[in-house]
Amino acid sequence: MSEAFAVDVDNVFKSFGTIRALDGVTLRVRQGEIYGLLGPNGAGKTTLMRMVVGLVAQDAGTVTLLGRRMPDLDILSQVGYMTQQAALYPDLSVEENVRFFAAISGSDGNVDEALKAVELDQRRKSVVATLSGGMRQRLSLACALVHHPKLLLLDEPTVGVDPQLRVQFWEDFRRMAAAGTTIIVSSHVMDEAERCQRLGLIQYGKLLAEGTPDEVRATAGTSNLEDAFLKLAGSAPS
Amino acid sequence: MSWHRIAAITIRLLQQFRHDRRTLALLFIAPIVILGLLGYLIRGSASAPAVGIVNQDQGPLGTMVAGALEHSSTISATSINAADGDAKLKDGSLVAYIVIAADFSQQAQLGTIAPEIHLEGSQPGNSGTVLQALQEAIGSLSAGPGTAIHFQPQLHYLYGGPGFDTLDYFGAAFIGLIVFFLVFVITIVSFLRERSQGTLERLMASPLRRGEIVLGYMLGFGALALVQSAEVLVFSLAVLKVHNQGNVMLIFGIEALMAIGAVNLGIFLSMFARTEFQAVQFIPLVIVPQFILSGILFPVSTEPRPLQVVSDVLPLTYAVNGLRDVMVKGADLSWPSLQLDTGVVAGFVLLLIVAGVGTLRRRIA
Repeated sequence: MSEAFAVDVDNVFKSFGTIRALDGVTLRVRQGEIYGLLGPNGAGKTTLMRMVVGLVAQDAGTVTLLGRRMPDLDILSQVGYMTQQAALYPDLSVEENVRFFAAISGSDGNVDEALKAVELDQRRKSVVATLSGGMRQRLSLACALVHHPKLLLLDEPTVGVDPQLRVQFWEDFRRMAAAGTTIIVSSHVMDEAERCQRLGLIQYGKLLAEGTPDEVRATAGTSNLEDAFLKLAGSAPS
Repeated sequence: MSWHRIAAITIRLLQQFRHDRRTLALLFIAPIVILGLLGYLIRGSASAPAVGIVNQDQGPLGTMVAGALEHSSTISATSINAADGDAKLKDGSLVAYIVIAADFSQQAQLGTIAPEIHLEGSQPGNSGTVLQALQEAIGSLSAGPGTAIHFQPQLHYLYGGPGFDTLDYFGAAFIGLIVFFLVFVITIVSFLRERSQGTLERLMASPLRRGEIVLGYMLGFGALALVQSAEVLVFSLAVLKVHNQGNVMLIFGIEALMAIGAVNLGIFLSMFARTEFQAVQFIPLVIVPQFILSGILFPVSTEPRPLQVVSDVLPLTYAVNGLRDVMVKGADLSWPSLQLDTGVVAGFVLLLIVAGVGTLRRRIA
């Protein structure tokens, strides 16, 4: 349970009925690191993310966030969580949404800064229901980072985001990580995996491989991550 | 027009129902329950309004009228002492008592019958029934040839008055019911939206406590509900001129309690629905039975005994009774009955707050 690890997931299991969603997953994410959780749809990425923030109770194992054993409500004020679905209040304006999520995290936050980061400062008065899917995704990110969390959990944050903004998202992630924010980002897009400092490949609720992109490629003996994933997934028991 | 495409829509709809057993059950069970309840309530209501008779007549006619009243099928008449009359009206054991004066027979021979009728007055329907029964009883005596008796009852009202009409009776209850119903529907749907749009997941991944969420909702909707309560009250009193004998702030207080109760009932029941569609289904399950059994339509005392037991545990029964006591009878908080009514409603609100906080799940699984 070292504090050097922002996230320490130790041998967690979770079943939903007869479906085993997480099967003995252990992973540790260092502070200031961008950790990519990679896997196909249904692999267990979202369940793991939800477990990290205490939304899903593990059947066995432990989760420790920023040195505090979960569940721990107080530590959640230092966590930003962007859900897969752009969970926003459609009847509120862009600014009102960001202000609300800042307030419930116990901080006034810097709404202007958050809106500028996702290039929505010009649309601050727009009602969310009038925004495009990509804009909502950007707003959802702004809501997750407005209170300057130490740990940012992003569940497929770039779905529906255009390539230009996607590049900018990743630049922002890198900048935040350099400033000490730990980021766990889930994705099933392999080119995004290259941007992570470390990766965890997950399938059927199991962590197949972990390491830097180079280490994962080396483990699989392939030249690109997609082949590495296919090779490792192919050799894993279902 | 393609029948193939039309059939596709029809089959899809039926398939959706097959997967939503709850809606299907509601569709077929709710009408039977509601109609059955109404049928039992109306047909099974045995007790005719209780009427006391004070026969002071020194002639024979008073006894005959009293006898005819005691055999009446529309009222349940018994002899009482004149001194007990008002007390029995107040405690609700009688809806009216009729005083047949000492010179009743004498006056009748002079062609005038003027019995004193003391009406409780809060239920206009009962007043009509009592008058009708008395007229029938007297009519059976004056059926002989050549008799022309003028029936000039002297009416005394404990509550209300001659101008007290059906709207006055229902108005008091509806003031509370409208607020309760609308606030409940808005809260349950809003809370469900919080779930379906994914924001609840986000709230639960924040340091927010469950109690903070419930309290925040309660205050937000509570504030709106209070404005709505004030609007309903002002409209009822100023525009509809609904009869009011009591303190307006007391009425507002009971309305506010009902509104806060409705907010918490909405939050609590939203835990048992997955979609807004399912949430709305709580209306026939939760609201309609209360509407039927809380004494809004039929006085609880006239319900069949088993239904009275149910009515006695429904919070709306106490709220409706409290509002009627204040508005029709001018009750204040020194009245034990109003203390009970407001106490039960307040207790119910507290229970719902605890239930709402207790059932709000932080965890998705």
